[in-house]
Amino acid sequence: MKEELEKITPSKISSFQVFLIHVCCGLALAVGFWVAHNVYSINLIFDPTGTLRLIWAIEFPVVILLFSCFRQKPEKCSYLKAIARGLLGLPVGALINALGALALGAPAGLQYFERTVSWSLLMSSLTFVPTACVYGSCWTDWHRIFACTKPKGSLDFMLCLPAHGAVIGAWFGAWPMPLDWERPWQDWPICVSYGAMAGYVAGMVGSLGLALMHTGGKQLKAE
Amino acid sequence: MAPLTCTKLSVITVTGVLTQIIGLSLFVFGFFPVKPALPGTSGSESFYAPSCDFVGNLSDTTLPSDQLKSLYQELSGIPPSFERLILMVIDGLPAEFVLGKNGKPPNKQFKEAMPYTQSLLASGSAIGYHAKAAPPTVTMPRLKAMVSGALGGFLDVAFNFNTQAMMDDNLLGQFFRIGWKMVMLGDETWIKLFPRLFQRHDGVSSFYVKDTVQVDQNVSRHLGYELRKDDWNLLILHYLGLDHVGHIGGRSSVLMAPKLKEMDEVVKLIHSSINPSQGNRQGQALLMIVSDHGMTENGNHGGSTYEETDSLALFIGLGNHVFDHASVINQIDIAPTLALLFGVPIPKNNVGVLIREAFDSLTEDQHLRALELNAWQLLRLLHAQLSGLPCRNFPCDALYDHQSSGSSECNRTTENMLCCLYMEAAALYTSWKSKSASNKDYSSTAAAYYKFLKSASEWLSGRTTDKPVKLLALGLATMVISSVMLSSLMLRRLREIYHGGKQPASNLNDSMNGWSFDETFIFSVVVILVTCMTSSSMVEEEHYIWYFLISTFYLLLLRKTAQSLSAVGLQSFLMQKGKSGEGYFRVCCIFLLLISGRILRGWHQGGVNWTSLPDISKWLEQGGGQYVKPLQLISAILVISIGLFALFSIESKGKYFQMVRLSFLISGLLVLLHITRYQDYTFSSTNYGATLLVQIIYAILGTATIGTVVALPWLIPLSTSKIFPSDNTISPSFFPRIQEKFPLVELRDSLYVIGWAYILCWCLLQLLLQQAINTTPILLLLLQMVAGVLYFARSGTHHKEWVEIAGFYYLGMAGHFALGNSNTLATIDVAGAFIGISNHSTFLSGILMFIITYASPMFILLSLVMYISTKSMAHLVIPEKANAGDLLMTMLGFPCLVPLVINSILLTAYTVVLLLMQNHLFVWSVFSPKYLYVCATTVCTLIGVFIVAATGFYTYFVLAKRKRKACSG
Repeated sequence: MKEELEKITPSKISSFQVFLIHVCCGLALAVGFWVAHNVYSINLIFDPTGTLRLIWAIEFPVVILLFSCFRQKPEKCSYLKAIARGLLGLPVGALINALGALALGAPAGLQYFERTVSWSLLMSSLTFVPTACVYGSCWTDWHRIFACTKPKGSLDFMLCLPAHGAVIGAWFGAWPMPLDWERPWQDWPICVSYGAMAGYVAGMVGSLGLALMHTGGKQLKAE
Repeated sequence: MAPLTCTKLSVITVTGVLTQIIGLSLFVFGFFPVKPALPGTSGSESFYAPSCDFVGNLSDTTLPSDQLKSLYQELSGIPPSFERLILMVIDGLPAEFVLGKNGKPPNKQFKEAMPYTQSLLASGSAIGYHAKAAPPTVTMPRLKAMVSGALGGFLDVAFNFNTQAMMDDNLLGQFFRIGWKMVMLGDETWIKLFPRLFQRHDGVSSFYVKDTVQVDQNVSRHLGYELRKDDWNLLILHYLGLDHVGHIGGRSSVLMAPKLKEMDEVVKLIHSSINPSQGNRQGQALLMIVSDHGMTENGNHGGSTYEETDSLALFIGLGNHVFDHASVINQIDIAPTLALLFGVPIPKNNVGVLIREAFDSLTEDQHLRALELNAWQLLRLLHAQLSGLPCRNFPCDALYDHQSSGSSECNRTTENMLCCLYMEAAALYTSWKSKSASNKDYSSTAAAYYKFLKSASEWLSGRTTDKPVKLLALGLATMVISSVMLSSLMLRRLREIYHGGKQPASNLNDSMNGWSFDETFIFSVVVILVTCMTSSSMVEEEHYIWYFLISTFYLLLLRKTAQSLSAVGLQSFLMQKGKSGEGYFRVCCIFLLLISGRILRGWHQGGVNWTSLPDISKWLEQGGGQYVKPLQLISAILVISIGLFALFSIESKGKYFQMVRLSFLISGLLVLLHITRYQDYTFSSTNYGATLLVQIIYAILGTATIGTVVALPWLIPLSTSKIFPSDNTISPSFFPRIQEKFPLVELRDSLYVIGWAYILCWCLLQLLLQQAINTTPILLLLLQMVAGVLYFARSGTHHKEWVEIAGFYYLGMAGHFALGNSNTLATIDVAGAFIGISNHSTFLSGILMFIITYASPMFILLSLVMYISTKSMAHLVIPEKANAGDLLMTMLGFPCLVPLVINSILLTAYTVVLLLMQNHLFVWSVFSPKYLYVCATTVCTLIGVFIVAATGFYTYFVLAKRKRKACSG
């Protein structure tokens, strides 16, 4: 499948490919949960670190392998280089996510350190790594997608919407944390992770919908 | 629509603010009635009829206790039925568990759990009552009600949270005065309420709600010892375990039956130990089992539902009574009953009525006398509340006539009705006494007395709980009107500025036209806040909302900066050195905001539920003085130097400026001196030197600030050249010099200096008054404010002015919580309110307390004066047409309107929430304290905005006058 996808020129991306990628990413999340629950019998509430790490370990390779196929300017940049960019983007994105979470009030104590690390690694693979694979360190593209949120075309939407969805979902996921319901999932970063993943999935659905509309519109015009 | 003029704007704003004040005061007086209470304690005068000998015999307070005791006995004419009292308080026990509900026996499980108590009730040696507790059903106010018989209004409850010791007349004080020895075991609330009254005490804390076993064992372990001792007259046992069981598992918790069983064992132990002692060495003992409040199905309490107010009052030892089914009394009835049973005067503010069955063992004569004493006491209270009570002089009037007060009169007004009932009862009693008459007269006299007592008690307690609906509605409507007025005014102003199309389009950035994202966010903050305020736990944890929203706001600013940074791409961005410097500077400002905001957030773990989590202040305090003190000194020095640097950066060398700088420098040094030398001692004693020093600092600061504000506009050098006014500017170099056609450069400069004078004065005051641990947060707040002002000054027109001011307002609110405040009244720093005050003055202490509590919001409002001076307003002023009104409106319009509008919306919304929640469980514990804070924030906003507006107007008019003179001269 990898080779097949690689052949296609990345700047133009069909709605089927968008669908395929999103389904793969979504499935990777689901598989992560499934493995955590059934193989290791852990879950997010009682072992957030382990579960997040497991989900990340399954999601991250899928994301990096898939999105590297759509790297910009493939003639200048090999598949391996794109993967290397993704690998490099992971810690940078994790750092930015962790700093953002800390600024918004994530607990800074040492006992939360592992959780924060595994959460930010997962967040980085949901938000940062795809764009790093596709665009590398091209400031203009990053600026267009993340600072201005003015994506052009299906590929941009595919990068932009799930990432924004994950961040916004995480933001909303933090709201129940201060309440006095005394539920175990109110702890950092459990409900934030749920929110982020829900937002990510919503973003993927949105991106898919836009891609379908886009191609549908084109087909209509062609007819 | 005609464009707004300055006069119109200010008139509408002032009208809106006045309407708001009127509405707020109407609402507050409707919702929190303040009832007049009688000062002092009851003495021997309470055994005489009121009015005749109203002065009373004041000398009896100095009598030794045993003489006082015999004096009381002699005067009252009722021999005390008991010598000793055991008051067993079972926290949170609903009477339903023991007595059943509506005549039905209690739940089988509970009945079986308390075999001994139930057997006492069945045999008639115990009398049980449903004692209706008044809200707030929280322990401390309920204990106060039980021992004083008085119902506190909410404001009494609220303001007495901190002044722990009970000052009002109460049973324990009366017992103490006649020389009783008292022992207290259990909830330490009693020790806080009555320090130094107990001979022995062992307090347990109600803090560890999860503990249901140890907390009661700590009480019971002393029981055997105390019951064998005979040196006490009053033994108070306060068991908290049942309340904790309720909090954990609710009424139907599996722990409930075992806990009731445990309580039953205690009752059995006490009763069997006092039973054989009847008639021997210490005389009879009365065992009274009460609960302070009930609990809901979930085990909570605080509100006014039947489940919470249904508390227990159980007398054991009154003699045998046939128990048909438990009647309902008020919890406050316990106070006068106990007072008269034990031969002490009824506490002065008591509203309760004697419990009839408690006096059945007395003779008829004594029973009627007890009723008369209670009636006199209530009549005194009625006199205090109803000045026009017509029967004022009745008891003195020897020639009264029973017939003269016909029963037709009894229905007209409350006053007449109460008066007439009293006179009827008193007349019946007199005739009974003169006749030494039949049983029928006795019962009718008693009935008449009870009728008067019941209606007087009802009327008096109604005064504290009834809410005048019309007043509340009127107040709310007025607040809504004022809020609508202010918001529509701001909307109109916005429309005129940004969509009026009067400005040349070239002056406007892209972002100025649309409804941009940060505006949406600022607006949604208000919506989110209003929504969150309807949830009690969000009110308790409000600081999290502010921190979260303000840091989100910073991140949005960062994103906006990133947008504008590099529309041209990173490479060219790096090339253009000049432009990138600006951008980097702004990014640095935001990082400063973010970092200091995060530290501020971690400084105090505020709120209610998570206060025990670690935070920076706890960590520092655990480390001891070696961390706090140096940190405090460094922060104080930094605060002072930032302020002085800002003042010294003015490039003017005039004598006047030197004086301003010097006076602030001196007061800064004095504050440092105070910190190093005295701050450790201020709380321990009234140190004369410290007080004097603080007073000197107050004086210098006050003089310097007021002097600067008043004199600066007169003394600032006018720019001589009218063609290049900006050349003469003295504004400091680190603020961008906007080459604008601002009509009055002097205005900007003087506002800058005055603004810094305000800021420095306020910061120095805070350094002086706040706790040592709060010095660093003040530094961080100052840094945040400076960073914010610099950021907004550099970003030019990227943000609309109202967004910036709203951001500042939110920053102030977040800082309010970062200084350790919360929405409970317990976090108000009372100790700081006495710094520098040599004699006790509630007014001055109140002002200091306000200054300490509202440090941050007020600080932000004051710094708006400085903010105005840094803003470039060239693009908003139409140079040709600019007149005084337009200029003032542009300069002061938003800085005044935005805080007012945000505050009025929050105030109105919160008033609606309070009205909706008035029957909520937590109305007294959560929503009402929050409302007090909202009211105080309103006061703070009004004062701050007034200062900003007044400074702006004054400076402008003085400068304009001088300019005219210079032109004509």
